[in-house]
Amino acid sequence: MNNTKRGKQSLAQGLANRLSRNTLRLRLISVFLSFLVLFVVFSFTSENFFNFQNLKVIAFNASLLTIVACASAIVVLTRNLDLSVGSILGLAGYLVAKFATAFPHSGPMIIFIGIAVGIVLGLLNGLAIAYGKIPSIVATLGTMAIYRGLTIIIGRGIEVPSGNLPQWMIRSADLTIFNVPLVVVLAIVVVFILAFLLNNLPIFRRVYAVGSNPEAAVFYGLRSRRVVLFAYAVCGGLCGLASFLYVSRVGTITVNLGRGWETTALAAVVIGGVSMTGGSGNIIGAFLGALILSTIDNGLVLARAPEFWRMFIQGLAIVGAVLLDAMIERRIQSIFKRGRM
Amino acid sequence: MANENDRLTVRAISKRFGPVLAVNNVSFSVRKGTIHGLVGENGAGKSTLVKIITGLEKPDDGEILLDGKAVRFVTPIEARGYGITAVYQDPKLFPHIDVGENIFMGIYPRNALGLVKKRRMYGEAKRLLEDLSIDIDPHALIAGLSVAEIQFVEIVRAICADMKLLILDEPTASLTPSEADRLFAVAQALKENGTSILFISHRLEEVLKITNAVTVLRDGCHVITLPTSELTEEILVHHMVGRELKTFFTRTTSNVHEKIVLEVKNLTLPGFFRNVSFKIREGEIVGLMGLVGAGRTEIAESIFGIRPPASGEVYVSGERIKPKNPNIMRSKGVAYIPENRDENGLILAQGVAENVCLTVLDSLSLLGFISHRSEKTFAQPFVDDLEIKTESLDTPVGRLSGGNRQKVVLAKWLATKPRVLILDEPTHGIDISAKSQVHKRIFELAAEGFAVLLISSDLPEIMAMSDRILVVSRGEIVDEFTGESATQEELMTAAVSSRGRKDRNE
Repeated sequence: MNNTKRGKQSLAQGLANRLSRNTLRLRLISVFLSFLVLFVVFSFTSENFFNFQNLKVIAFNASLLTIVACASAIVVLTRNLDLSVGSILGLAGYLVAKFATAFPHSGPMIIFIGIAVGIVLGLLNGLAIAYGKIPSIVATLGTMAIYRGLTIIIGRGIEVPSGNLPQWMIRSADLTIFNVPLVVVLAIVVVFILAFLLNNLPIFRRVYAVGSNPEAAVFYGLRSRRVVLFAYAVCGGLCGLASFLYVSRVGTITVNLGRGWETTALAAVVIGGVSMTGGSGNIIGAFLGALILSTIDNGLVLARAPEFWRMFIQGLAIVGAVLLDAMIERRIQSIFKRGRM
Repeated sequence: MANENDRLTVRAISKRFGPVLAVNNVSFSVRKGTIHGLVGENGAGKSTLVKIITGLEKPDDGEILLDGKAVRFVTPIEARGYGITAVYQDPKLFPHIDVGENIFMGIYPRNALGLVKKRRMYGEAKRLLEDLSIDIDPHALIAGLSVAEIQFVEIVRAICADMKLLILDEPTASLTPSEADRLFAVAQALKENGTSILFISHRLEEVLKITNAVTVLRDGCHVITLPTSELTEEILVHHMVGRELKTFFTRTTSNVHEKIVLEVKNLTLPGFFRNVSFKIREGEIVGLMGLVGAGRTEIAESIFGIRPPASGEVYVSGERIKPKNPNIMRSKGVAYIPENRDENGLILAQGVAENVCLTVLDSLSLLGFISHRSEKTFAQPFVDDLEIKTESLDTPVGRLSGGNRQKVVLAKWLATKPRVLILDEPTHGIDISAKSQVHKRIFELAAEGFAVLLISSDLPEIMAMSDRILVVSRGEIVDEFTGESATQEELMTAAVSSRGRKDRNE
């Protein structure tokens, strides 16, 4: 009798298993579907939405956010947070602009300055969190203020006017490849390289592992601290790259560069299905998240909706995404930890 | 000295945690290509010994020999490098990642560019799984596997190194009988390939079925190592029990009234326990005895509303109450003191008085505010009554000794004026004199008319304390003894067997 009962139980379990096996894939599909739904809705609300020119605007606006969102996503995958990405963007951007003004003939060196500054700032975050054992939300809340403060101290509150930047930088923002802005192409390239590396490079696989079950990582000898440090360094480097692109696009740099980007990037990450509890989600998701945010912005502007609608809808999207993730995560944990009797 | 047929030799290993000698001068050997059982009561030192062998804990004394050579590991990874791996009861895998990667995490096959050779990895994973006739798709996520499948993945992961010794810590605790049989088949296959297996289990019939030799631990000491052919369940139980009661206080009188205070009927929570029924009378101490994982704590938590039962009835003083949450149960006069008192019962940074008053804040407050003075006035009699040794009522609880912390928890719950007291391992990890005081206090409470449900792994303790003892095994109450009538052997036999005396007599 006991055996038939167990048989039934395992049948139900089998069904649940198959379901959960695909939930993570379904999660990404759900992000893509909501993106499509947005597209259809906005195509109806305003006739100017669905044309090449406007799509280009959406993509252009999403491109920088995409890179910063990818940066943020890599940290979130390790079950941590980075609230300082906006400030890294600001400080690296400011230094890039300063350097470009001082040495206008240094060429592509300027890009590397941006990336290097970003990596250093990211490493500092990583050291505090992985080795100093400070909770990431507190550590990066601190560095968010520190990096911003440094920007203001270094800049003494003065902006760097666009006229001082080398011409090739300013012009690069307008370059296109087959009528597609260069920065959009670059963002897509970054997304694909990162997606490939996250799937195929051992250290990036460890990023997933550490986020998925930090306790098990110890038993596997994964050296979690190094992995977390690495994630923050990559995050910082990507923000540095974004800062160069930002400077080229905006030209005039103020000390407020990148302010508020940490929350927008995090919103893109969450909407894109990267789990805040770590270990699940991917770069394509973060990319779609950035696209969704950019599309919402654009569609609402075209529909002449007041500003607060943008925040309201963005907020709804975040809460909805987090709820969905919480449900999935609960399911995974209950299956993973069930029946420990 | 060391026999050349010995794979692992543990020699004079000792480990002390604070006042407790968890492992005391233990020596034994595991032969090459054999399955070696390790049994003992809860807290006999099995887990600590495993942790020492795999490098998670450092022994205070003694040495470990692998193939005759002394080894000392600092991390489980190092142990793994030497071919020693342990599979624990709770999964140490990555739920969001697929089977193939879980097997190869950290030891990926890489190409010249340093990228993971995915096809090779999944192919290899598939082959390893098939070698042991385990039917799992290497692309499936761990989160989607059954408990048994998760264990198989852990074993397969262990195998890909050059495995010399596999430690299975309570592997069958959450498996169905057919899953357990599959596991044994896998263990046999490994054994035939020359791997030694250290098999830890409470289920003696399994130990007798699959092992070649068995080592018994008791109270951290090595009792005996015998070939399985010379063993029976009775012999094993005889060696496992036999501890002495360590208390300065013994019960003199027992005054059980007629009135039933707590009654539980057919309480069931699938996956944890089923059809649990019992009654506790006024002034009665009922012991709930069972091995770790038998479902004792879950039953208690269920009655208290922490894990509401799926079905069944709970009556307090004749009134039927649905244990939906702890608040309801507390208001009806049920108090539950959990095993892990620091985590579940106390705010360590706050004072004694604040902690005592935690459960009764509403009744002490005036318009939602609490005066610290009224807290102290309220707490003082409890501190005096229980003889809590503290400098003042404001001393942070974190600065008290384990025994005194336990008394603060007790005071906290007595403040709610309960009728039913559920105590989960009340003397775990405290010294003998504090233990005796707790024992004395429990007797006094029973004499005052409380109904007490006492959960304890300490056999002598539960025998000395209880009017009746209920034995839980695999989520069912399999046997019942009156306090004096039971022997340690009888209790242990009931606890380790799948069927209790009741069933056997039928």
